[in-house]
Amino acid sequence: MAPGTNHHELLENLRLELRRGSLVLAVLFALRKEQYGYTLRKTLAEQGMAIDEGTLYPLLRRLESQGLLASEWREEDKRNKRFYRLSPDGKVILKQLLSEWQRISSSLNGML
Amino acid sequence: MQLLENYLKAVADGLPPDEREDILRELSEDIRSEMDEKAAEVQRPLSEAEQREILRRHGNPLLLAARYRHDNRTLSLGRELIGPALFPFYVRVLSFNLGLTFVIIGSIFTALIVAGQRVSVGAVAWNVLLQLVIQFSVVTLIFSLIQKHMSKNPDRWDLGAPRGVHLDLGYAKLGKNVRAGGRDSAWVSRFESISILVASAVALVWLRGVQLDPFLLFGPAASFLKLAPVWSQVIPVIAVLTFLEMARASINFVRPDWMRFRNIVQLLLGAGALVLILFVLNARSWVIPGEGAGTEILRRTVQIVNTAFLCVLVAAVAINAVQLVTRINRLRRAGRKQASASSVDAVC
Repeated sequence: MAPGTNHHELLENLRLELRRGSLVLAVLFALRKEQYGYTLRKTLAEQGMAIDEGTLYPLLRRLESQGLLASEWREEDKRNKRFYRLSPDGKVILKQLLSEWQRISSSLNGML
Repeated sequence: MQLLENYLKAVADGLPPDEREDILRELSEDIRSEMDEKAAEVQRPLSEAEQREILRRHGNPLLLAARYRHDNRTLSLGRELIGPALFPFYVRVLSFNLGLTFVIIGSIFTALIVAGQRVSVGAVAWNVLLQLVIQFSVVTLIFSLIQKHMSKNPDRWDLGAPRGVHLDLGYAKLGKNVRAGGRDSAWVSRFESISILVASAVALVWLRGVQLDPFLLFGPAASFLKLAPVWSQVIPVIAVLTFLEMARASINFVRPDWMRFRNIVQLLLGAGALVLILFVLNARSWVIPGEGAGTEILRRTVQIVNTAFLCVLVAAVAINAVQLVTRINRLRRAGRKQASASSVDAVC
């Protein structure tokens, strides 16, 4: 273990690293159905993938700039909300990422 | 929704300018949705403490804003001294300080060249380098101390204690009302306070340095130019005014909601600065020949440098006078706003 790094800190860093890649997959998967930020955050939390908005919104903006998501501002319940959905490119990437995920998952399951 | 507005303004300070409005609209919508849901759950408007708790969960506004930036620039010398959250403010303060110093130094060297004095490239380079090292060291030291404090206490931040928190969960379009550090904002940006503290501290160090070694101001011309006696009278007063502004910024750092306090103190200090500049202007001579000087070319140099000083001082009087009028107007506007708000409250 690196000097000055305690066990808890190290575990936390590795856990975050592990989660980071999975979060992209979870967000893309959840946005097959159009949602706005807050409901997306709730959906993910209900599925055990809690994510704070300081991570979620920059991620959504990044995925949108990469062309994987599309968004539009729309009024709902007298409030303007930004709705996100998977773009056609996003659908293709999600499909490929899911098969990659299944491959990794089955490999790991075989190893563990 | 005053607390939410304060929070969004604090976030706005650190957001990329071209995306600021869009990010704030979305963030505002997210937090409002959470507050609405909580209010529906408890079947009453949220208390101030409950609103604070929700905002606290959203995290330090500066760290939140840093996540939206694409550059994520930091300053590292072996280890990270200034992280991405503070870096834009660090660059802003350093650029302002260096810009101001170089304008002063540049004016003096230009005056020397115009007067026919020989100014070597080496002398100019040495002076520029010296200013660069001093400003860089002091500003970096102060910001790295702030960074150290922030890293040790990421959760130690506060939204101030605004008077009269409105608990209505109305659906006003907050995004349009959010002005990052706006002049008529109801809240003094904490980074405005920090920037003033840092810039003032550097100015004091520089002022003391100029007193001890005029090379900092005149460069190689320090061997035959001296500051006129008027400066020994006014520099202590400048230092006192700067200390008072630092005290004001420190108080506003703790109480960002004391807008009236800021406006009044800045008005008084501005008036003091104007009187001081007029006093300096009245001296008519700001640079005098040093010992061993007596040539015609030197007399011309002193004359040209004094003319440059005159131009700078006249410009300073004009800028200060305009600022003073603006501040008086701002104070009057704020007073009228407060009076109309009190009369609405009385009617309700």
